[in-house]
Amino acid sequence: MTKVLIKIFVVISALALPLSSFGAEAGKLRYAATIYFDSKGVGLRLPEGVACGEGPSFVVADTGNGRLLRYSFQDGVPKGGDELKIDQISYPLRLQLSSKGEIFALDGKQRRIVRLNPEGAFMGYIDPVGMPPAAASFVPRSFKLDSTDNIYILDIFSERVLVLDPTGKYVRQVDFPEKYGFFSDLAVDSKGTIFLVDSVDAVVYAAPKDAKGFSLLSQKLDEYVNFPSSITVDGRGTIYLADQNGSGVVVLGTDGSFLGRSLVFGWKDGLLRYPSQLCTNEKGEFFVADRQNNRVQIFTVIK
Amino acid sequence: MKLRYKLFLFFYIVGSLFIVSRAHAAEENKFKLKQGAKGKVCVTCHVTFEEKLKSPFLHTPVKAGDCTGCHNPHTSNHGKMLAADAVKVCYRCHKSMVPENARSTHKVVVEGNCVKCHDPHGANNRFNLLKAGNELCFGCHTSMGETITKVKFKHSPVEKGCISCHNPHASGKTDFLLNDSVPSLCLKCHKTNTPSFAKQHMNYPVGKALCTSCHNPHGSDRGGILFNNVHRPVANKMCNQCHEEPTSATPFATKKPGYELCRGCHSSMINDAFSKKRIHWPLMSQRGCLSCHNPHASAENKLIKGGMIKVCGKCHGDTIARQERSETKHPPIIEGNCTACHVAHSSDNAFLLNQTSVIEICGSCHDWQKHSTHPIGDKVIDPRNKNLTVQCLTCHRSHGTENKYFIYTPVITELCTQCHAKYKR
Repeated sequence: MTKVLIKIFVVISALALPLSSFGAEAGKLRYAATIYFDSKGVGLRLPEGVACGEGPSFVVADTGNGRLLRYSFQDGVPKGGDELKIDQISYPLRLQLSSKGEIFALDGKQRRIVRLNPEGAFMGYIDPVGMPPAAASFVPRSFKLDSTDNIYILDIFSERVLVLDPTGKYVRQVDFPEKYGFFSDLAVDSKGTIFLVDSVDAVVYAAPKDAKGFSLLSQKLDEYVNFPSSITVDGRGTIYLADQNGSGVVVLGTDGSFLGRSLVFGWKDGLLRYPSQLCTNEKGEFFVADRQNNRVQIFTVIK
Repeated sequence: MKLRYKLFLFFYIVGSLFIVSRAHAAEENKFKLKQGAKGKVCVTCHVTFEEKLKSPFLHTPVKAGDCTGCHNPHTSNHGKMLAADAVKVCYRCHKSMVPENARSTHKVVVEGNCVKCHDPHGANNRFNLLKAGNELCFGCHTSMGETITKVKFKHSPVEKGCISCHNPHASGKTDFLLNDSVPSLCLKCHKTNTPSFAKQHMNYPVGKALCTSCHNPHGSDRGGILFNNVHRPVANKMCNQCHEEPTSATPFATKKPGYELCRGCHSSMINDAFSKKRIHWPLMSQRGCLSCHNPHASAENKLIKGGMIKVCGKCHGDTIARQERSETKHPPIIEGNCTACHVAHSSDNAFLLNQTSVIEICGSCHDWQKHSTHPIGDKVIDPRNKNLTVQCLTCHRSHGTENKYFIYTPVITELCTQCHAKYKR
């Protein structure tokens, strides 16, 4: 009798496990820390960008103050905040870190991507080399690096994603879908799939590696999100969207299905007001540029 | 033998029909209804309805004396003892009014408000319409009616009736309930192969273009029923200032893409926009200026594609919807005056605000705000967030909330005690 009961218990537990593991809790965020100031006690102002890597270092675009700040995050404690003041950057919007520690920043005023060495010294602009002459004009709205430092530029002028090698040489382009609202951001996963977030239509498009075009990945998400403006993908393929006007983070599965929504509007730690860039890493750390709260918040992903 | 067979067959058929009809009669009157119970009996009580029955146009069931076609004579869960929900009762017979996958639908039809246009019993007008011709449409579309009456140059089909171009129920083909898409609809009356037509259009093959890009189909104060605001190159008939020559293989192609084309004339405006820290990104897109402006003509100033609620709301629908849900309305938004606070092209401030200080922006209308007894300003730290100062948006959300005065919480004390925590109960 006891054996039968144990078997029943094991079967029920096995059936229940996937529900609790991958259901409502998927991608939930737990508050860890907040950054309000630089190392000299000067407050952040409207930070829009944040870039993280697999090391402890992360960089913040202190947009309103026209500068970059470098911090580290170890054992749940953020430290540092040294200023990287670069003449070529007056309004940094989006940031990325390369595998070598180089810093890439999209400047909102110049609408150009700036490359800095790991020490924060200016190395040059990312001006694609070897572009097809018929479509040489481009305007970067956002950009991302993949794990091998290839550069993906969201070009809203010529309606495409430009793929460049780490030196900035043109490799290929993937044209935007025929009909769309407005693309605000892109992401690239570990398999090379490119994701686009359409802020107006509240949908996500995807183009697998080497695909010639994008196809719709998600259903219309307007029930769950107001104005998604930033997208990032973690190592497991889970997609995170920053809901700028709805002040939250929406989590999608690898197939674009809605998994849940985290965080809400507010001023206190752990709450968001008009979030901008998101960044996550293999350690499950999750950084949010909490723009209208003048801060960057760090969360951990509950797995 | 043959005759006997034929007679047998005749009596067999007649007999069968007689039996069947008797059976049906018995079935029909299984409730032993009085003569005229489905309608004529009703009028014995509803005597005033006799007058309605004299209307020149009667609804078919009314004419047939079949009140029970729409009403339940005994009980009903619906108003006027209708046999079904008012939204559904008409559709029981008139299913085909809205085609499947309709491109556009008349709101009243979808909502089942058929009685806004039709009298369900009888009327003096065809199709039991409450009023004849355009008068009916202008009952709701008041401003359109006023405009059409006032305009100097009228479009003759409009005079004849809105239904010359529009289907009052739905359109399976195109937007705006049009009977056909533009230009096909226009070409039913206008011939494009005449020399005068070609001359008027600078020999561009506009027979394939969107006529409503320049012409106001409802009439205008400008000759050729052009929209009241015309882009100068169009007014000067200089299409080739922006487009390739009419003899080209792609005559409608523009000479440059996006904002680069407009920059040729509007360089100072575009240069000024580009000098700011934050650009309105659609300006930099493939459509560029045409994201918000019409290149040829518009009913709106500055060739904007429509009212700001419509144009801005096309992308920022969530923000407009928030104001619609808001218990307290913010006048600049209701009036479609987004530029009261925002700059459309670019700004040095977040949200493309026209001033750095939110207090100054709000103060430009709410003068009393500067004298508020609550401390606000750069020296007053928000207790909830040590890197924020107290300003108008600390308590109010400018595009509205579900609460009065755009405050963030349903109960005012809930908001106050977020900062004044010691008073929290």
